[in-house]
Amino acid sequence: MQTVFSVGIDALAYGMVLFVISIGLSVTMGLMRVVNLAHGAFAMIGGYIASYATQTLGFGYGVAILVAVVGTIIIAIPVERFLYRRIYGAPELTQVLMTIGITFCVIGIANYVFGPTLKTIPLPEALRGPVDLGFRSIAAHKLFAIACGVAVAGALWFLIEKTSFGVKLRASVDNAAMAASLGVRTKIVYAVSFAVAVGLAAFGGIVGAELLPIEPYYALRYMVTFLVVVSVGGAGSIPGALLACLLLGAIDTSGRYLLPEYGEFFFYLAVIAIVCVFPRGLLGRSK
Amino acid sequence: MKKSVLAALAVLALSSAAFADTIKVGVVGPFSGPFAIQGKNFKAGIDAYMALNGSKVGDNDIEIVYRDLPAADPAQSKALAQELVVKEGVQYLAGFYFTPDAMAVTPLLEQANVPLVVMNAATSAIVTKSPLVVRTSFTTWQTSAPMAKVAKERGVKKVITVVSDYGPGIDSENAFKTTFTAEGGEVVDSVRMPLSTNDFSPIMQRVKDSGADAVFAFLPSGPTTLGFVKAYNENGLAKAGVQFLAPGDLTQESDLPALGQAAEGLLTTFHYAVSHDSAENKKFVEAAHKAIGNPAELSFPSVGAYDGMHVIYKMIEATGGKQDAQKAVDAVKGLAWESPRGPVSIDPETRHMTQNIYLREVAKAADGTYYNKEIATFEKQGDPGLAAAK
Amino acid sequence: MAAIENTSAAKPAATRPNWLVRDLVGLAVILAVAAIGYFLFPNNLALLTRILGVALLVLSIDLVTGFCGVATLGHAALFGAGAYASGIAAVHFGITDPLLMVVVGAIGGALAGIVSGAVILRGHGLAQLVLSIAVVHLFHEAANKASAYTGGSDGLSGISPDPIFGMFAFDLWGRTAYGFAVALVAIAFVVLRLITRSPFGMLCRGIKEDPIRIRAMGASVQGTLLKMYVISGAVAGVGGALNAISTQVVGLDSLSFTLSAEALVMLVLGGTGSLYGALIGTVSFMWFEDFVSAANPFHWLTIVGALLIAVVLFAPRGLYGSAQTLLDRFRGDGK
Repeated sequence: MQTVFSVGIDALAYGMVLFVISIGLSVTMGLMRVVNLAHGAFAMIGGYIASYATQTLGFGYGVAILVAVVGTIIIAIPVERFLYRRIYGAPELTQVLMTIGITFCVIGIANYVFGPTLKTIPLPEALRGPVDLGFRSIAAHKLFAIACGVAVAGALWFLIEKTSFGVKLRASVDNAAMAASLGVRTKIVYAVSFAVAVGLAAFGGIVGAELLPIEPYYALRYMVTFLVVVSVGGAGSIPGALLACLLLGAIDTSGRYLLPEYGEFFFYLAVIAIVCVFPRGLLGRSK
Repeated sequence: MKKSVLAALAVLALSSAAFADTIKVGVVGPFSGPFAIQGKNFKAGIDAYMALNGSKVGDNDIEIVYRDLPAADPAQSKALAQELVVKEGVQYLAGFYFTPDAMAVTPLLEQANVPLVVMNAATSAIVTKSPLVVRTSFTTWQTSAPMAKVAKERGVKKVITVVSDYGPGIDSENAFKTTFTAEGGEVVDSVRMPLSTNDFSPIMQRVKDSGADAVFAFLPSGPTTLGFVKAYNENGLAKAGVQFLAPGDLTQESDLPALGQAAEGLLTTFHYAVSHDSAENKKFVEAAHKAIGNPAELSFPSVGAYDGMHVIYKMIEATGGKQDAQKAVDAVKGLAWESPRGPVSIDPETRHMTQNIYLREVAKAADGTYYNKEIATFEKQGDPGLAAAK
Repeated sequence: MAAIENTSAAKPAATRPNWLVRDLVGLAVILAVAAIGYFLFPNNLALLTRILGVALLVLSIDLVTGFCGVATLGHAALFGAGAYASGIAAVHFGITDPLLMVVVGAIGGALAGIVSGAVILRGHGLAQLVLSIAVVHLFHEAANKASAYTGGSDGLSGISPDPIFGMFAFDLWGRTAYGFAVALVAIAFVVLRLITRSPFGMLCRGIKEDPIRIRAMGASVQGTLLKMYVISGAVAGVGGALNAISTQVVGLDSLSFTLSAEALVMLVLGGTGSLYGALIGTVSFMWFEDFVSAANPFHWLTIVGALLIAVVLFAPRGLYGSAQTLLDRFRGDGK
C-alpha cells in the first residue's frame, strides 16, 4: 500500500511538471492552430536566461523566473511579428517546416553562445532537499512544481473562460474575419496569446529544469513528449491537458516501476489506445 | 563527358602524388547535436597534441579534416568515411564516438588501405571487425568490471544494477554481474530502463524495495545523469546508506558543475580523471584547456583523442609518410608510453589499450568546484569483454 | 494547392499521349541528373547513394502525405523495417543476393506498412500525427529489444552482399552501389508514376480532397488508403534495403523519429503531391546539409534552420511547387 502511494506521488509530480511545460503548446496548437514545434526552444531560452540570471548575475530564484519569462517574451516578439505571422492559417506541414527551422536556429545559437554543457538553475534553500511526508520523502521542488501546475491551470482557465480577452480570443480563433468585423483587433489578440504561450513555455522550462535539464538539444529532445501530451489531452483544452498529463504521468511512472524494461512500450501503447478511443483528445472540442 | 572523366582521374593522380608532404587525418565525431560536447573534446585533445608536438612528422605536414556525425547513424558514417578516403585522400581515419558508426567503417579499411584509430566507441567487438582497427579509449567492460572488486572489498553483499537499455548499458550490466558473482557477491535485481527516461523516482523506488546495499548504475554521460543522481539523493537512498557505484561516464567532468553537491561522494571507476596527478597530465590539461576555451567542458573523450593522435604520429613515423595501413598498425602493436591518464600500451593481440583503471570519488576542491579524486588504482587492465564474448 | 492539382489532374484526360512523353522526359531528366552527379562528384558517390536511399523514403511519404493527405511523422518505421528485413535475411539466413535482398526489403516494408497503416489510419490530423509517432517509437523499441536478431543499439553488422548478377562487386568508390541505387530509383519513379496516374491513384487524390464524397460514391476510404500504405511501405522498404546493401550496416537510427521527421521536412521543402517535389526536396536538403556541415562541422545547424525558414517565407509551396506556380504564371495559363 505504501508503495502504491509512493509511486502515486511520483506520478502526480511528474504529470504536473509535464503539464507546466506543455500547456503553452496547447494554447498555440489548440487556440491559435499553429503546430508550434519550436515550443521546446522557447522553454529552453527561458531556462538559459534563468540560469544566466542566477549563476552569473546572482539574482534570486523568484526574480530569475520573472526576468526569464519577460526576457523570453521580448525575444519572441520579433519572431512572432516576422515569422509566425506568416504561417497563421497556413497548411500544417508548412508550419512544421517553419517551426523546425526556428528550432534548429535556436539550438545552433544556444550551442554557440552558451556551449554544450548542462546548465542548472540553483534552487532557493527552501526548495532544496527532501521533504518528509511521513511514509516517504519527496523533493521539495516537486511539491513546488505541483503547486505551480495547479496555479497555472487555474489562471489560464480563468483567463480564457472568464475574461473579455478570452472571449475575443475564442472568437478570433473560430472566425477571424467575423471577429475582426465586429471590432476585435485579431492581430493584437494573436500577438498577446502568443506571448502568453511563450511565457508559459519559459516558466515551464525553469520549473521543470530539475527533471529536464537545460542544454542546447533540449529544444528537440523533449518535443515529442510535449506534442503527445497536448494531443492526447485535446489541443486547446486546459482541463484536457491536465487530465492527459496526470494520466500519462501515472502510466509512465507505474510502467517504469513495474516493468522498466518495457516502459517505452507501455507508454506508447497507452497513447495509441487513448487516441483511438478519443480521436480529438480526451477533452478536445469538436469542430 | 569523356574529358571530365579524364580530368577527374588526373585530379586523383595529382592528389595521390601530393601525399608526400601533407598527410590528412579524417576525424569523424559528434560536433553538433546532443553529443556536441564530446565532439568538442575530440577536437580539444587533437589540438592539444598538435600544440605540444607540432603539426609536422618528419617532413610531412599533418592536416586534420573534421566531419560531423551528430548521432549514431552508420549509413552516414560510412558515407563520410568514404568521402574522406576517396575525395579528401585521408591516410588515417579517427574519432568515432558511437559503436555502430565505427562498425560501419570497418569493411572499408582493407580496400582503402587506411587504419582506423577509434578514439571513443566502447564496445569490445569493434577491434575484431578488422585487423586495421586500433582503439585508444576504453571499453565498457574494462571500466565496469573493477567496480565489482571495489564493491566486494567494501563489504557490499547485495547489489541492484540499473542500466540504460542499450548496448553499452547491457555491456556494463554484464561486466559487473559476471565479476561480482565471481567474487562471491549477489546481484539481487537488474533493471534496464529506456534511454528516454527522465523521471527516475520510480526506479529509485525499485532500488529501495530490492533491499540492496548498493546500486550499480550505467547511463550515457549527459543530461539524464543529472536527473538520475538527483533522484538518488532526493528519494533518500543516499541517507539510507545505499552506496552508489558506477563507471566514470556518470560523473564526467563536464557534467560535474551541474551535478554539484548531489554528486559528492559518488564512487566511480574509469580510465581517466582530469585531476590525475602527473606531469604528463598537467601539460595535457593546460594545452587542452587552451584548446577547448571553457575549462569546465574538458572531459574524458579528449584524452582518447590525444592518445589517438600519439598513435597516428607513431604510425606516420614508422611508415615514413607512405600509405601502408598494415605496416602502420603493426608498428604500434605493443607500443607503450606515458599518457596523461598514466602508463598505457597497445595490446598486440587485440589492438586495444591496456591501461590503469582508477577508483575515484567525487570530492569538493578548495575553490568550491567538484572533481573526481583518484583514490585507488587497478594496474594494467586489459579488456575482459572480448574474452567474455567468446 | 488545389489549383495545381486540378490542372495536373485534368490534363492527362484531355491530352492523352502527352503524359507518356512527359513521363519519359521526366525519367530522362532523372537519369541525366544522376549521370551528371556521377561525373561531377566521382568522389562522393557514397553520399549520392545515401541521398537516393532517403529519396525512396521521401517518395513513399509523398504517396501517403502528398497524394492521400495522411500526416505522418513515423514513416521511418517502414524504411527501417525494410532495412532490417534485408539485413537480417543476409546475416541470419544467408540471402546475400542484392536483388533478393531488395525483394525481402520491399516485403518487410509492405508488412510494416500494413501494421502501421492499420494504426495510423484510425486518426485524423493531429491524432494521426501522434499515432504515427507512437508507431515509430514502438518499432524502434522492438528492434532495440530483439538484439539477438538486430544487434540492438550496436547495429546489425556483417552484411556482405554478393556482386550484382555475379559481376559487379560493391567497391570502395561506391560505383556499383550508385548504379544500383539509380536503377532502383528510376524503376520506382516509373512504377509510382503509373500508379499515381491510374484510377486507383485518382481515387487517392479524391480522398485527400473530400473523403465524404468518395465514401458517398461507394468507394472504401480506409481500404484504399491502406492499399496505398502497403505500396508506400514497399517503396520505403526498397530504400531501406538499398541502405542496408550499400552501407552493410543497419542501425536503430533507420527506425527513428528523427529520420521520419527529417524526411518529412525534405518532402515539404520540395513540395508535396508531386514525385518531382519529393526528389528535388531530398537532393537539395541533403546536399545542402552535407555542404554546410563539411564547411563548418560545429555550427551548421543554424544555417540549415535559416534555409527552412527562408523556404517557408519565399517558396511556401516548396521548391518545386513554387517553381511550378511561377512558371505557370509566366506562361499565363496558371488559372
